[in-house]
Amino acid sequence: MAGASAADVRSILSLPSAPTPGPSQPRKQSNAAERARKPDGISRELYSLIGPSVPTLAQLAKPRLKQKPNLGGGGRVKWEWQSFKNGARSDSLRLSHWTKAGTDPDAEYPFAKYNVQPTSYVFSQDEYTRFLEDKDWTKEETDYLFELVREYDSRFYIVHDRYEFPGGPQRSLEDLRDRYCSVCRKLVRNRPWAGDEAAKMQLLSSLQFDKDREVTRKKYIASLESRTPQQKAEEEALFIELKRLEQNERRFKKDRDELLRTLLGIESGLPDIQVDEDGLVSAPPDTKKRKRGHHSATAEPETPVASGSATQIISLVPSAPKKAQSAKSAAYDALHCIHRSEVPPAAAPTTKAAHQPVYLRSYKLPTPKVASTAKVAQALGELGISSTRLVMPTRENCAQLESLLETASALVETKKVVDKVEHDIRVLKERMGMGERDSEAEDGEAQTPGDEGAEGEMEGRAQSVVSTRSTRSVRSRKQSSRRSMSISSVDTSATGAMKRKRY
Amino acid sequence: MVNYGGDEVAALVLDIGTSSIRVGYAGDDTPKAIIPTTYGYTETDEPSSEPANANADGDVAMAEGEEGGAAGTQSAKKKVKLHIGSNGPSLWRAGMKVNNPVQNGIIQDFEPIPSLISYALEQALRCNPSEHPILVTEPAWNTPANRERMAEILFEEFNVPAFYISNTGVLNAFAAGKGSALVVDIGHSAASVTPVVDGFVMRRGTGSLTYPCISLVDTFSGLAHSALPQLVHAHARHMLTTPSSRRPAIQLYPHQLIAHKQPVDAGVAPKFELRKDRLEGTTDSWKQWYEAKEVDEWIQSVAGILDQGWNEHAANTRGMRHYEFPTGYNNYFSGIERHSVGEQFFTHSPQLIASNPNLPKPIPNLISSSLNACDMEIRQVLLGNIVLTGGGSLFAGFADRLQAELSRIHSHVKIHAPGNPAERRFGGWLGGSILASLGTFHQLWISKEEWQEHGRPIVGQRCK
Repeated sequence: MAGASAADVRSILSLPSAPTPGPSQPRKQSNAAERARKPDGISRELYSLIGPSVPTLAQLAKPRLKQKPNLGGGGRVKWEWQSFKNGARSDSLRLSHWTKAGTDPDAEYPFAKYNVQPTSYVFSQDEYTRFLEDKDWTKEETDYLFELVREYDSRFYIVHDRYEFPGGPQRSLEDLRDRYCSVCRKLVRNRPWAGDEAAKMQLLSSLQFDKDREVTRKKYIASLESRTPQQKAEEEALFIELKRLEQNERRFKKDRDELLRTLLGIESGLPDIQVDEDGLVSAPPDTKKRKRGHHSATAEPETPVASGSATQIISLVPSAPKKAQSAKSAAYDALHCIHRSEVPPAAAPTTKAAHQPVYLRSYKLPTPKVASTAKVAQALGELGISSTRLVMPTRENCAQLESLLETASALVETKKVVDKVEHDIRVLKERMGMGERDSEAEDGEAQTPGDEGAEGEMEGRAQSVVSTRSTRSVRSRKQSSRRSMSISSVDTSATGAMKRKRY
Repeated sequence: MVNYGGDEVAALVLDIGTSSIRVGYAGDDTPKAIIPTTYGYTETDEPSSEPANANADGDVAMAEGEEGGAAGTQSAKKKVKLHIGSNGPSLWRAGMKVNNPVQNGIIQDFEPIPSLISYALEQALRCNPSEHPILVTEPAWNTPANRERMAEILFEEFNVPAFYISNTGVLNAFAAGKGSALVVDIGHSAASVTPVVDGFVMRRGTGSLTYPCISLVDTFSGLAHSALPQLVHAHARHMLTTPSSRRPAIQLYPHQLIAHKQPVDAGVAPKFELRKDRLEGTTDSWKQWYEAKEVDEWIQSVAGILDQGWNEHAANTRGMRHYEFPTGYNNYFSGIERHSVGEQFFTHSPQLIASNPNLPKPIPNLISSSLNACDMEIRQVLLGNIVLTGGGSLFAGFADRLQAELSRIHSHVKIHAPGNPAERRFGGWLGGSILASLGTFHQLWISKEEWQEHGRPIVGQRCK
């Protein structure tokens, strides 16, 4: 019966069975019975790796193959050539197509529903004379315009393309659109409105058309298109120049940061410097203007410190709006259980290395210092806590673990210091004791308390040998005695310290 | 079925072009039948009293029977036999003249059209036109009278249940899967540039009431077309038939007129014997047409376009290419010769411009003039959706050259040129096939009932 386990011993001694290990305690070896209950759907190797704490995501049911698609019940489908009537047509044309047998031939044609008619506006003569008079437009031409817009479903490019009113003046696309929209707006405004105000406003805004703006916009497009190759080349050159300047500015800024860091150290407040993206983006137009002003100035580099724009780009204090925003969003965060972790301000905010990617909290569990790892682990082990495995790494738990580790390492440190101090005390005490004994030896008194006595005798003998040679070796003798004292036991060191104090 | 928006009603699609008539069922990806538009005709009775324009009198024989549809009605005064189909004009017949009803893409002579359509539908497709709705194509510069005439022929003579006529530009855009596009269509006789916006052709510019007047170059119109392919053809023909320092003039006898020939080395004078018995009965129009075919074949197998502008050195590096004519004459054609032909699409030499003031515009100019007639805002949209189509665009290197030329002038040019030759040759037909098989399209058909009720104006109202 070599294999008597702890459980057997417990049962013999009629002790209560071992408490089940807590979540953070090192897990005990699962017994054979537990392992035998391997659920289906997990391979044996995987199960032996992950143990009984099966993640919920693992599929416990046995996977089945994808079902074969059921294509219409397996039976044959009969199709027939059937004539149909299209509801979107006004005449009685009957076309034919293949349908499944048994389909109702008089059913509504499925594509008829796509025949959507846009809302078209019509106005009476009375309405026209009351609101729609315009010195540039006759009623006939307005009617013609509305007819075309209806015919081409408000595609104004086509309307303008096909617009051919006999005797009318040449109309631009904007003229047509402006007239159409203004008439519709007036009609909507002046007619009784059945729906709510919001819908009316929405409709009115959809009919809004700013003719002057559109015309200006078109002019811009035209001027953009009619650029000469020289202009294009110049633009290209300016763009490259701009890029170069931006690069220069960035380099200057970096150099300046470096300089500040070297000169002022932490007081420069550099880590708080945020790269003001807006400043860089807004810089181009004025740089461009400057460039346009004097081409010869390209060689003259502008130091950001000297130029006025530098203050825009570099802000030495953390930007104020950011703080305001965080204050405002604090309530929001609390409401939605959002915890914002303080990202440590990196030394170089724009470099890639400073970027902290998303991570799982359990990946960044605090670890004790390498030097004291073993001791801390031992201390924790005494408490029955595993420092490497945290079952539920919530924020609080992580914080607690961290504080625990801190405390534990502090404890270990303290213990180390205490040990060292005690040691020192002992050493000094011993030395004190040695000093006394030396003097006693000179007096010829032999004091032999326990094992120390033998040592003392040895010293004494040695001393006698040395002393015959020279008197100046008293110091060296003392040193050697101190060396021998270092091997002395604990209790003498305590007395030594006491004696030294008295000395 | 409903998911893809398709609902096939066994509609027919008929695409009449200068070189061929394409016909097939809507929903297919290629036409079922392709027959030449050119037809041959022979006048068997009192040939002396009938001038060449005999068929203009309206007493045209309906082509019937297989074997090229050689048949005719027995008229008391004259008997005109039409020879249609792949075995029609290309077979040698004594005294057969050939004619083409289509000039510059639009039908100029409607007399043989019913016979051609009848042959295409009844002989080639073997279907009864009165059972199928039919979608017909037209070029963007077609006249209202022409389309109404087409509707009349189909409703009155073929008794079709429904009819629709659609623009080749729009259909080519649809075939490329685009609603808005700048369609560059290089056909057999005409090259055209058609701006299409939301499925409508932009016709702005000429000041005419509805359509631009027919001229070779419409300077103000958005839809610009020119007889550029004809110029290319003429250039190639001129080059082949004029003697040069390197070789004598090449004789373009068709193979039907050659009794036998002997193989000769490249560049050596051919040894062949003509069929004396046939020379007598060969008409000028047939000979002209067949010689043109020889030139076309030479162009198709040998000619090319340099992709980065004219450069003699670059052309020379393209190497020689061998070609043999039906007479047995064969030679290696240098890179310069081969590429100077395609170059006519893009640039014209100053001498040519000076000698010919009515020269058709080259493609880049056509595109620019077309774009300039369009609104500023849609120019960029059109430039990003250029659809290159038409059998003429299969010229080796055409798409690359067009891309190079356009990117020199405009930025952000994107050319859609299908790699499948069938998609380019039958782009218009393919678009029609897509359109006529859409469920939502079936409300647009002009039904026979509507035709009878409203008459001709319904065509203009419905087919915008």
